[in-house]
Amino acid sequence: MLIELKGINKTYDNGQPLHVLKGIDLAIERGEFVSIMGASGSGKSTLLNILGILDNYDTGEYWLDGKLIKDLSERTAADYRNRMIGFVFQSFNLISFKTAVENVELPLYYQGVPRKKRHEMAMEYLEKLGLTDWASHFPNEMSGGQKQRVAIARALITRPQIILADEPTGALDSKTSVEVMQLLKRLNQEEGITIIVVTHESGVANETDKIIHIKDGIIGEIEENKAHTAWDSSIIK
Amino acid sequence: MRELFHEITSNLRNNKLRTALTGFAVSWGIFLLIALLGAGNGLMNSFMGNMADFISQNITVEGWRTSKPYAGYQEGREVRLDEQDVEYTQGPRWSPAVGDVTRQTGSTSVTFSLDGNTVAGQLSGVMPEYLEQNKMKLSTGRFLNPDDLKERRKVVVLSRAQAEELSPKDPEAIVGRWVGTGNVSFRVVGLYHTDETNMYRICPIPYTTYKGIYDSSDKIESITFTVDGPETKDEYEAFEKEYGTAIRLRHDVAPDDRRGIWIRNGYTDNMEMNDAQRIIRTFLWILGLLTLVSGIVGVSNIMLIAVKERTHEFGIRKALGATPAEILKLIIAESVTITAAFGYVGMFLGMIACQVMDKTVGQRTVDIGIDIGNIRMLVNPTVGLDVALEATLLLIVAGTIAGAIPAWKAARVKPIEALRAE
Repeated sequence: MLIELKGINKTYDNGQPLHVLKGIDLAIERGEFVSIMGASGSGKSTLLNILGILDNYDTGEYWLDGKLIKDLSERTAADYRNRMIGFVFQSFNLISFKTAVENVELPLYYQGVPRKKRHEMAMEYLEKLGLTDWASHFPNEMSGGQKQRVAIARALITRPQIILADEPTGALDSKTSVEVMQLLKRLNQEEGITIIVVTHESGVANETDKIIHIKDGIIGEIEENKAHTAWDSSIIK
Repeated sequence: MRELFHEITSNLRNNKLRTALTGFAVSWGIFLLIALLGAGNGLMNSFMGNMADFISQNITVEGWRTSKPYAGYQEGREVRLDEQDVEYTQGPRWSPAVGDVTRQTGSTSVTFSLDGNTVAGQLSGVMPEYLEQNKMKLSTGRFLNPDDLKERRKVVVLSRAQAEELSPKDPEAIVGRWVGTGNVSFRVVGLYHTDETNMYRICPIPYTTYKGIYDSSDKIESITFTVDGPETKDEYEAFEKEYGTAIRLRHDVAPDDRRGIWIRNGYTDNMEMNDAQRIIRTFLWILGLLTLVSGIVGVSNIMLIAVKERTHEFGIRKALGATPAEILKLIIAESVTITAAFGYVGMFLGMIACQVMDKTVGQRTVDIGIDIGNIRMLVNPTVGLDVALEATLLLIVAGTIAGAIPAWKAARVKPIEALRAE
């Protein structure tokens, strides 16, 4: 079991307490391609942030690859994020004043990989995603799809256990969305990387092998979707 | 280290406006500090430095007019020192401390004439040590020597200004010639510089010659002597008081009547001058540091804004595995790099400004009065390299602190909050 959540509760307290996650129990196996689906405000993003050790939770237990993720120091959390988790964000979150290749190199910088080595590796991953020609371009010189592929290259470069993708197609047109989802699917199938996608779009969720529905902070139905029949994939968006 | 440096340079290169603004604040602060200290040093060298030159390290005693009644005499009595006072001063009571004792006669106004040109002057009989005691500098020829005194020669040392009046075409040629003063003629043996002294009308002649021609009494104008022994200002003042009381009582002058017999203590004057110099220096430093503070506030301010602006970026970095220490290190290193690099530029420019001041304003002379002559407005308006480096180092330390506060804030923000920030 790669990921195991037991009774996760999370309450935000911005003046008025807001109980976002109300006892989440979830298990995800290594090599799964999962989507977490729900409407906005359902708590799906909070769940993803907890999975990504970007946010903490109040009660419950979160086991990641056999390690209990609870009350970690920022230092340890940073180390786990760096080595175990790759992030793909809706808004790409590339650093605007760094070139594509520099962005991809960044996680390795925090691992202390020498510059030459990390440049080589970053170029390798950019090549894998067909972005060799764009290596020295800045994010604002690239299209949305290209930016998201740079972000995916950056997520992959540390060979993480999991890729957490938060609305990865949210800022992309439908054609590019399909391409990005195909790419994630290929990574899952060919490299065996566990991928968790958070989305509110059924078309995107349908590309994954398992759909976890979340509503009002509680896990609802968990749909097996190996055949990708949950939604007619031809009409993404 | 090299990795960090590369990271910083690329960050700075890619945020040119921010870098430029921060850099400007720093450069400007250090530039102003150096320029201010330089100009201050220049002014001080000009006024105080020159004056310190004039303050001779000796004690001069002069008879004036009493300002209070004493021993049955009314106030306003004229007091004149005499040869006995010289002997007394050289005597056993003071001999351990008192060194060479010299004396000077009063003065007589004369009009020198040469080849139809005339100039006014004040003849005064002095000893050979007069030159040194009054910090006079010869421009041509020699000063009076012991033989002049022994043989009562009719020789005179004129000021260069007087020589220019008497011999406009070639002032130096006057040395060796005889100049008339009505009934007596004197041979000019030397000229002294007039540009930095206020005594250019005084024309020294041998003490003995003066006594022979103008004043056969045993009265003298002043006694000058060096003192060896006292070390601190208090000790000098104590000596001055003890000697002053004794010499005043010899002339029935109240012991505290400073105007009856006036004593100029070159030692304490010099120490006071040093004190004044120290005060001005401190004042300049405070002004400079305040300027520097504005630079530091500038850096701090821009770093705060930069950190705020970059919160999202730090969020991304944290998501990718940057520890709080990494973020802290990054910001502080950036801050230090900026302050160091631009501080160096400011220091360099400040030193150039000092050189420019030296070459322009520094060469200009100002006439600040008839008797003082011309002085240079700024003399050597520069700051030592050590001071400049210290100031730059201070700024770098300040830059670290300026960067540390926002950096600490940024490092503490939770990654998810940082990512949400726009």
